Amino acid sequence: MEELKYLGSEWTQEAYRRLREELTAEKMKFVTSSMLTIYHDCPDGKDRALYYRFEKGVIEDVSIREGQFPDAEFRIIGDYETFAKISRAELGSRSALMTGKLKLQGNMVKALSLSSVVDRMNKVLATIPTEY
Amino acid sequence: MSPYQISPNDPYYIDFPARIQSIQIGMARRGIDVYLGSRLRTLSWTIDAFCPWRSFVVIPPEGLPTAFTFVIDASRVGDDSWLDEDHVLGYAPMGGQDQVSAISDLVKSYLKGGKGVVGIESGMAPYLPEGNLTHFEYECFQAALDGSRLVNAHDIVDELSLIKDQGTINRFREASRLVDIGHQVVLETIKDGAYRGMTETEIAGIAGYAMRKAGSEWEWSFTGGNEIAAGYRTGLAGGACTPASRKPLLPGEPLMVDLHAMFRLCLGDHSHNYLLSPATSRQRWHAQNFVHLVTLCLQTYRPGISPSSLADEMLAFCEEREFAEYMVPGFEHGIGMMGDEWRIGMNDGPFPYWTNPDHQYQKGEMLICAMQYACTEENIGFRYENPILITETGCEALSKFPLQIEEI
Repeated sequence: MEELKYLGSEWTQEAYRRLREELTAEKMKFVTSSMLTIYHDCPDGKDRALYYRFEKGVIEDVSIREGQFPDAEFRIIGDYETFAKISRAELGSRSALMTGKLKLQGNMVKALSLSSVVDRMNKVLATIPTEY
Repeated sequence: MSPYQISPNDPYYIDFPARIQSIQIGMARRGIDVYLGSRLRTLSWTIDAFCPWRSFVVIPPEGLPTAFTFVIDASRVGDDSWLDEDHVLGYAPMGGQDQVSAISDLVKSYLKGGKGVVGIESGMAPYLPEGNLTHFEYECFQAALDGSRLVNAHDIVDELSLIKDQGTINRFREASRLVDIGHQVVLETIKDGAYRGMTETEIAGIAGYAMRKAGSEWEWSFTGGNEIAAGYRTGLAGGACTPASRKPLLPGEPLMVDLHAMFRLCLGDHSHNYLLSPATSRQRWHAQNFVHLVTLCLQTYRPGISPSSLADEMLAFCEEREFAEYMVPGFEHGIGMMGDEWRIGMNDGPFPYWTNPDHQYQKGEMLICAMQYACTEENIGFRYENPILITETGCEALSKFPLQIEEI
């Protein structure tokens, strides 16, 4: 498979397909929630967000947003390069949070209970051949 | 789903939403947009959960407050509180989740244009876990809330919490009942010379177990839980703080048993005294002085008197009976829900953050009637503490354990 441009429409469609295919509702802890990862300073200078919505463990939406971002239960905010490093496994997501490279907004107690779900999602996303 | 289920018909029910609304009215009067509480007493009084870790409560101009505590304890605090899990949040050393970022983000969301007047709690106290905002925290919040004005506003909560509501009074009564159970078990355990071979720490533990078995949540006092003193330790000069030590209980010595129980954040605190037989006539004289003084003091409390007028009256009695030199010249300290200890009334006395000696007691106020008798040179002393409720014409002593100094 040829490399897909990170956060491009093809990459996003592939992300949605793989996440739904590989993560069962059980693996997703039957969670109902929404999450927005906000990327500052994308290569074209814009800010973008990747929006996820889960219903009872089923991934219902993975989409790129620009301009006005939707509300979400959790927001993870950081530079494009930080997210790219995490995707390339050059930086751990926990380390990025603990050092302040990423900022989490939302109920942290709930976020802790969902951290294993996010880890599983990141592992799936890391399998997509990606051009940064 | 939180197990917090206290219906308005429950004797221990407190209308916390009404408390929050009364704070919000006070904020509006003072032009305060958001209240950032940090004192332990404020946390207890607003969220009804014990917060042993550094915690904060953010009270918006209207609607529910949000508490923040260290993430390792946030679920438990949420479970104990009347607030739901979305209004008890954790903080941790993590991007966006450290206490300053998480709290200031929420505060800003309540401020028009992200700027306004934020009430904080600043001051000082002899009580270590008071919880005023530290200098460093103040600087961090001021920087994070750039353009907002931070003003000291603790007196809003202080004023509202002065007169106790019925649920609070009932909780205090129950906490005193638990303390009395502890005292009864201690008496049963040490009487008839059975104290021999025991230590102060053991007495503290026996009482603690009995009170917890009966429903006490913990021996709440930061002064060491149950304070037990035997022998010379009862008579330490000016001493009114005796965390239990490993000192053994010995015949011929006095024993002071100061127990603390907690029931739904309300506090039992009663001190009872013994003479471990054989007692001398001189020891009995000291004991009689003390019992007479406590009796008189409890008969004297009523609305309208002040700490200074009470002290004058009591010390005159001590002088007349020739034991004034053994008395610590104070007869009470303040009390409220967990974290509210020491100062009585408002911060309006001659020494900032100390009790105003001319504070006039009102019906519905609660305090700890507290007396310390210490004759250092004879290695003897006694302590009395009992939560009292100021009534229409006098006071109600909440601990009912009989006032006497038994020879056992």
